[in-house]
Amino acid sequence: MAFAWRIPDQAGIIGRVNTAIRLSSIRKQFGKKVAVRDLDLEVPAGSIYGLIGPNGAGKTTSIRIILDIIGPDSGEVEVLGSRDVESVRERVGYLPEERGLYAKMSVIDHLVFFAELKGLHRREARSRAMEGLELMSLADRAADKVETLSKGMAQKVQFLATTLHRPDLLILDEPFSGLDPINVDLFKRILLERHREGTTVLFSTHMIEDAERLCERVCMIAGATKVLDGRIADVKSAAGRNEVVIAYDGDGSFLRAPGLVERVADHGQYVEVRLVDRADPQELLRLAVESGARLSRFELAEPSLREIFIDKATQAGLSHEDEFRDAAA
Amino acid sequence: MNPFTPKVRAVMRREFMQRVKSKWFLLSTLGLPVLMVGLMFLAGFLVATSSDDTGDVERIGIVDSSGRLGDLIVSELLGDSVFAARAREFEALPEAETRTRLVASDYDVLLLAPAELIDAGEDDEVRAQILAVDNVAGGTEESIRGALRRALVRARLGEAGIEGVDVEALLRAAPVRIVTVSGSGEARSQQVYQLISFVIAFLFYMVLLIYGQMIIRSIIEEKASDIVEIMVSSLRPWELMLGKIVGVGAVGLAQIGVWVLVLSGVTLLGTTSLGASLADAGVDLSAITIPWGLVALVLAFFVLGYLLFAGMFAGTGATISSESDAQQAALPVTMLIILPFIAVQGIVTSPNATWAVVFSLIPFFSPLSMTPRLLITSVPAWQIAVSLGLLALSVLGAAWVAGRIYRVGILMKGQRANLPQVIRWVRHG
Repeated sequence: MAFAWRIPDQAGIIGRVNTAIRLSSIRKQFGKKVAVRDLDLEVPAGSIYGLIGPNGAGKTTSIRIILDIIGPDSGEVEVLGSRDVESVRERVGYLPEERGLYAKMSVIDHLVFFAELKGLHRREARSRAMEGLELMSLADRAADKVETLSKGMAQKVQFLATTLHRPDLLILDEPFSGLDPINVDLFKRILLERHREGTTVLFSTHMIEDAERLCERVCMIAGATKVLDGRIADVKSAAGRNEVVIAYDGDGSFLRAPGLVERVADHGQYVEVRLVDRADPQELLRLAVESGARLSRFELAEPSLREIFIDKATQAGLSHEDEFRDAAA
Repeated sequence: MNPFTPKVRAVMRREFMQRVKSKWFLLSTLGLPVLMVGLMFLAGFLVATSSDDTGDVERIGIVDSSGRLGDLIVSELLGDSVFAARAREFEALPEAETRTRLVASDYDVLLLAPAELIDAGEDDEVRAQILAVDNVAGGTEESIRGALRRALVRARLGEAGIEGVDVEALLRAAPVRIVTVSGSGEARSQQVYQLISFVIAFLFYMVLLIYGQMIIRSIIEEKASDIVEIMVSSLRPWELMLGKIVGVGAVGLAQIGVWVLVLSGVTLLGTTSLGASLADAGVDLSAITIPWGLVALVLAFFVLGYLLFAGMFAGTGATISSESDAQQAALPVTMLIILPFIAVQGIVTSPNATWAVVFSLIPFFSPLSMTPRLLITSVPAWQIAVSLGLLALSVLGAAWVAGRIYRVGILMKGQRANLPQVIRWVRHG
């Protein structure tokens, strides 16, 4: 079976094979707690897709369902064109949020073992592992036991173990949390490289800014429920341009103008102001000047993904704003 | 379908190689034979040194009320090779003496022989007494008892007009060798097989406990180090469980293989010491021929038993997250191994007792209880068939239950799962 799904998201390819992951009406409950509620998700083949939401929103559960680690209570899962996820496992690379290594195993044995579990032959696995270690400048540590590695090195080995079998679909759960900044940049570069080669990348994060920079598409989850998904550009243009970024010196009383300002997000050096529907930003500028504030910046802006997310979550009655802020902090 | 998929084989190889390469394996594999051989030599050394402590002369006093036994007892004692070797001093006392003589330390042992002893019947309340200070060497009492017995016989023979005979020769017992005849008419030396069954049961017991714990530790390690999630995203939980159980089992087989080789090598080399001492005990090593059918049966019980308990230990391991919970959580399973091992001592001596038969049919007990019966007695074919059948069914059952517990349990962290939870996992998978 030759799937054309490896081809990046382009118009004109037959729809069925153009989707790397399709979830329909997925529901999962643990005891009384609903972890995922009626989730529909479509990840186009070749895209780089962000699953965003606060901790506890249901991201990890959704990912585990996609990987068939746990079964949904209801709904359908289709991965790489197959309903039988087990049959495509070898084409999927997974980096869980909680990642581990066998402390007593040597680095090379470790990589070969995980590649074998993904269906690679030992010899092939070994040569690719050495290549990968070379790339990560870890080749001289190949024979060392994992327990002797520094944290940053261990992170590289884990990442390598996920990608060694050159999966068509990479699923990463909070891939950047706990990484040192050098590794964050390295892994982002590799992810983008893989993405350009046609690999579909799905990653979850509670750092919306990560998703905003990297992803073409996002799915936002709050309180076990999807609040929004689609291309970031579409999501933003749909949200309209009633966002104003203001940097000022003064008491800021103008921000409390009734019937004009819906919400203010204070970022310290500047504030992000959401105006009420169809309000005129010019009116806010006038009020600011009248209040005696000294403005150093007044800019009409696209809303940030974070603002859109909070908006949508609030509209849906899922007041997860505070929880989200805590998680992001 | 062949359950040993390439992934299962990869897990097996990892479990096997990691353990065989470890220091623990080297130490325990070579350590046990060294320890056993060492103990053997130590025992031999102790026996040798205790039998020639010529420096330690014990004084035995004989209080002979009748005046007819004293000389006879002394001559019997002097005739005793052990006593001669130990060069003891004997002194026959013509008159009654009190215990104060003993306490005053003139003697280490006093034998009080009342005058009525010679004519007394079994039912009479007449007793000879042996008074001894507490630090008398073992065997002394036994020798005095024997000397008294022979002296009494000699005295009674004298009264009946018979004298100058070798009492020991007259009382010589017929040596008896117990031979079990199996259904097919072949003869088996009882003692050899009792010994072998005990060794096998012990090995099996050790392997189950040690390797069961090893499986639990291996599962906890994967849970604790967060590897398990990557594992189950790559292969099915039952593949992981199977690979673990077989991989760890292979380590056990390798270890037993080394032990058997080393021990049989040592035994061959040391036939002078071990072989001689076995021969003393009436054990004739040359009487052993290897009955391959029996070996295959014992192996079948061994392998099935390992699979049964390994599955149960794996299920147990999946319900806990820390080493500290392991001992306690594994206790019910461990008890199922300890109980039949205790029973083995009884089964060896009465292999056809009703309880022994029942034990050897119950799945959890049969691996340890049936093996000695197979070796010592001839077990009816139906019992073997029923026992094996039940055992095989239990292996499948345990694998099914353990698989379901495992599937849910390996992703659980923190608190140890309680019984209602585990039952829910099994019912809903």
